[in-house]
Amino acid sequence: MLLLKISVGFIGTILIFVGCKKLYEKYTKLWLSPLLTCPAIIISFLVVCQIDYADYNQGAQWLTKLLGPATVAFAIPIYKNFVLIKKNASTIILSLVTGCIVALASSYLIALLFGINNSMIKSLVPRSITTPIAMDISTFIGGEANMTAVFVIVTGLAGSVIGPLIIRFLAIKSAAAKGLMLGMGAHGCGTSKAFEFGEKEGMFSSVAMILAALLSIVITEILLPLFA
Amino acid sequence: MNVLKIIVQIIIIYSFLLIGQWLATSSGLPIPGSIIGLLLLLLCLTLHIVPLQWVDLGARFLTGELLLFFIPAAVGIINYDNIIGIIGIKLIAVIFLSTIIVMTVTALIADRLTTEKRSISHASTKN
Repeated sequence: MLLLKISVGFIGTILIFVGCKKLYEKYTKLWLSPLLTCPAIIISFLVVCQIDYADYNQGAQWLTKLLGPATVAFAIPIYKNFVLIKKNASTIILSLVTGCIVALASSYLIALLFGINNSMIKSLVPRSITTPIAMDISTFIGGEANMTAVFVIVTGLAGSVIGPLIIRFLAIKSAAAKGLMLGMGAHGCGTSKAFEFGEKEGMFSSVAMILAALLSIVITEILLPLFA
Repeated sequence: MNVLKIIVQIIIIYSFLLIGQWLATSSGLPIPGSIIGLLLLLLCLTLHIVPLQWVDLGARFLTGELLLFFIPAAVGIINYDNIIGIIGIKLIAVIFLSTIIVMTVTALIADRLTTEKRSISHASTKN
């Protein structure tokens, strides 16, 4: 019985995801992104059938656990494109250091402006970087890690919808700029989007996602305590 | 056959994660295990300790299907009643505004720097 429960959450999520992906590949409309449609379908299913999230997650959590090796796997696109990264090192570092500071500061200041309470702000601040590391930073600065995971997802959704619009609006041409902004602004979700633009964009986005995570750790866990 | 290959390669990549996590906890450094694992794998690839064919397919699967691994966390939104309503709208507004600012700033700086570099190299070839 337990095994059945686990496999339903796990396999069910994969099947619904594959269906959503096929639908998106056929029509390529922004609002048909599997990141929107797939959770929407699963949530409706859980609500209609009155299934607890905890029960669903018993199986589905094995997919979440793959985020760890997936982060490690980004060593391969970085290895394959090392020459390109070295050639663009100054662009990558300058834009990402600025991006990281802007990400942390703007989340904090805008949330403050909107009158959001302090504990929620702390969970909100690391929202733009990849889930496992955002959760680490959140715990470190006194936020709630699970809440942060939700904000990271909403950021991923926002970024994969807004990113292509910004690229069109600002008439961004270079693959480096497209990839870096998507990886910086919307972590893995932005990186998936970047691979839709092209191999090069995806590579820059992978680098941005990894470096943004590292830089955010340096800024929040090493530099901030020095000033506090 | 390919499925089996992908599974074996994911296990290889996963072992780098485990080593990274072990190093992170035993050293007490504030660097997550996944990042240490990534750096170790990168080092092993560069030194040809691990050939690319050993991990290429698995890595392609993991990075290519990244969105799938976010789905259960996204479904987890149903657990947070307190971020529905006015606070929820405010939080979503903060996230959208901040994301717009971050992406715009990053894109403009990167685009400016790459076009500058291009025009400098262009100018130098002219001279």
